[in-house]
Amino acid sequence: MALKRLLQGYLKKTESMQLEIQNVSKRYNKNTYALKDFSLHIEKGILGLLGPNGAGKSTLLKMIATVSKPSDGIISLNKNNIIKDANYMRKQLGFLPQDFGMYPNLNAYEFLEYIAAMKGIGGKNLKPRISQLLEGLNLTEAAKKPIGSYSGGMKQRVGIAQALLNNPKIVIFDEPTVGLDPEERVRFRNLISDLANDCIVILSSHIVSDIDTIADKVAIMKNGTLIMHGNQEHIISTVTNKVFETRINKDALTYFKTQHVVVSTTRKKGDLMVRYISENPAENATKKEANLEDAYLYLTKTN
Amino acid sequence: MIPFFTIIKSDYLQRTRSYAFLITLCVSLATAYTFIPEPNANYSTIRVDDYIGYYNSAWFGYVTAIMTSIFLSLIGFYLVNSGIKKDIDTKVGQIVATTPISNFKYLLSKVLSNFLLLSTIVAMVFIMSILLFILYNDGFSFELFQFVKPYLLITLPALFFISMLAVVFEVFLGKYSVLQNVGFFFLFSALMVFSPKTQSQFSFDVFGSKIVMHHLEEKVRDITNSDAETNLSVGYVLGHVEKAKKFEFNGIDFPTSFIISRFVWVLFGIGIIAVISIFFHRFDRKEHLFLKKFIAATKEEHKVKDLLLSSLPIASINYKIAPLVKTELLLLFRIGKKWLWIINIVGMILLAVLPITIAHQIGLPILWFLQVNRLSNLTTKELTNKVHYFAFSSYKPITRLLSSQLFAAVILMFVLSLPLIIRHLIAFDYSASISIFFGGIFIVLLAALLGVLSKGAKLFEVLFFMIAYSNINGVLVFDYFGGFEHKAFYVLKLAIISLVLGSLCAFVRTYQLKS
Repeated sequence: MALKRLLQGYLKKTESMQLEIQNVSKRYNKNTYALKDFSLHIEKGILGLLGPNGAGKSTLLKMIATVSKPSDGIISLNKNNIIKDANYMRKQLGFLPQDFGMYPNLNAYEFLEYIAAMKGIGGKNLKPRISQLLEGLNLTEAAKKPIGSYSGGMKQRVGIAQALLNNPKIVIFDEPTVGLDPEERVRFRNLISDLANDCIVILSSHIVSDIDTIADKVAIMKNGTLIMHGNQEHIISTVTNKVFETRINKDALTYFKTQHVVVSTTRKKGDLMVRYISENPAENATKKEANLEDAYLYLTKTN
Repeated sequence: MIPFFTIIKSDYLQRTRSYAFLITLCVSLATAYTFIPEPNANYSTIRVDDYIGYYNSAWFGYVTAIMTSIFLSLIGFYLVNSGIKKDIDTKVGQIVATTPISNFKYLLSKVLSNFLLLSTIVAMVFIMSILLFILYNDGFSFELFQFVKPYLLITLPALFFISMLAVVFEVFLGKYSVLQNVGFFFLFSALMVFSPKTQSQFSFDVFGSKIVMHHLEEKVRDITNSDAETNLSVGYVLGHVEKAKKFEFNGIDFPTSFIISRFVWVLFGIGIIAVISIFFHRFDRKEHLFLKKFIAATKEEHKVKDLLLSSLPIASINYKIAPLVKTELLLLFRIGKKWLWIINIVGMILLAVLPITIAHQIGLPILWFLQVNRLSNLTTKELTNKVHYFAFSSYKPITRLLSSQLFAAVILMFVLSLPLIIRHLIAFDYSASISIFFGGIFIVLLAALLGVLSKGAKLFEVLFFMIAYSNINGVLVFDYFGGFEHKAFYVLKLAIISLVLGSLCAFVRTYQLKS
């Protein structure tokens, strides 16, 4: 019996995380949907959630994080319906919201202790864990100062620390790199690569460069629906052999945009170097290797 | 000039398009409904000795105008005293600071926006008074001017002054909300005590109601042919209404000096705004300097160690609420400036040394009222500080987080009243000690419920102010801490009400979390 229990415990521990979103909608009134009939299966690893502003990314993440409830549909974690049993999710969740605040009168250390208490964790390891998180996020110097005196980037890092307090098995970061300087962005990317080894990480952003270097899978959203989901190669394949670069007169740009999906423009001695996606490129165009940003812009502009 | 009015309009719309304002409007209307008692009601609002007026247009107009002037002056300050703070919190102030608008125009726009907001409530009360006149029809003809005149000459100038005061307090005491609340409390009490007797003195009455009261007293003296002092009561007086005799009141012809004085008060208010605009911080406040210094200091950072999550010690499960209560206490303690705690300590000393009746009837409600900002923030701070995403997705947010908030606040109220509780215990007056304890629980639960319901601090602040003011004036029905003699089962009733408040609070918060 004891061996059986041990084996069951081990199997439970090594059970891979499964997040299932089935036909989820969030309706504000009869005809207004923030999210409509959205389905997605998420497994261990990093999922990059891309979409323009207003695509419904934050709405989706708030529902997964049990902050808000869907109007229709089911969200389940390891076959547990988290709409009915929110605490199942909350026990193993780390969530960094997009627009969050903190109590300005507490310092970072006190705030993290408070969040830990809310999450229901403590014990002798809590203090060293908080200290090491603060140290790793370059906040040790500031840890004893009131949060009200922090810069935006420092607050963002405290936000990241709180998401990692409880050794989470599912981590949701909504626009996590806002306010971080380039060096901190790199450190953050390394951090979540480490994190993704044994849990689900959902990383939402509208900045493709935050996602393309680390995400195992990418989901692209627009107007509350899922446009495409898959690994990066699969998504990039939608624009393979369709990405070109050409030099045009700056006055011709407006017309050019009506004919092709323009990804970017750079100034070149009075003219413009345009990177674009097209089935019928201009005569003097140079073919370019497609990347995730090309695919993202193509999918969101043509769907 | 058009952009100036656009600023006022935008500010006004921003403040009125809120759930809290809607609740305030409903509460105001409900209160206005009671200004003129229903013919068979067992209370009176304005009464001179045993006399009240016939329910004619003048009585309706003047009584509701006076009651609105007093009540809305009392609570209006708390409704509008965060216009500048809102601009600081939302960072709109920093944008305002970079525009060409002068300090005077900005502050005046805030005064006018405050005034518009209060005038909206006045307009609703005005309509309500006419509807009540029709409803209680006593056979008198409807005279619109008898309604309009007192509102124009009594209520509106008084509310303009209050709108101005709110801005003055914000400019000078912006960082000290406790001092704003308490300062106004005492200023209002002092203004109410002012009792002019001559025509020239009436001009100095900012609320404009004393001249009408004087006239009512004169009228009753004429009827009774007596020169003796009459007893005029303004406010809710319960009982003995069946004895009330009626007299005819047909309004007053306000002396020219009084009419001019109303305009002078308005101009005086504008003049004060012009003067204080010199001292306005224009959103360049000291803590910003501190912030810059601090960020500069932290730029000299040492080399950062790489964070390897898999190697971090794993914290164990701990569902005890003690750490939450500890932080909630810390948060309560840190609201406002540290030195303001000296006032609390002085209050506690006074509870220990004042005659026990005074300490209980006056000292305790004032000391507890000083905590108004702490209590009004109790269940609203998650939303105002945008911590709700963490709080509402925490493990068991009702049984753990909400409970710890309530528990911490009750501890605070208990500790503050401890000197008085000990004195009662020494005197073997156990029921007084228990009443205080339950009174603390009651006010904490009231704050929590109103915070959860309105999602803002204002509703409780306004109500607590009214309760505290009534407590100091010895209004028995508002005694929630056993300061006065009560019938049997007083504590039991208090406990039951507290239980209902607590249950409602948990129910509403649960519903909010589910939706």
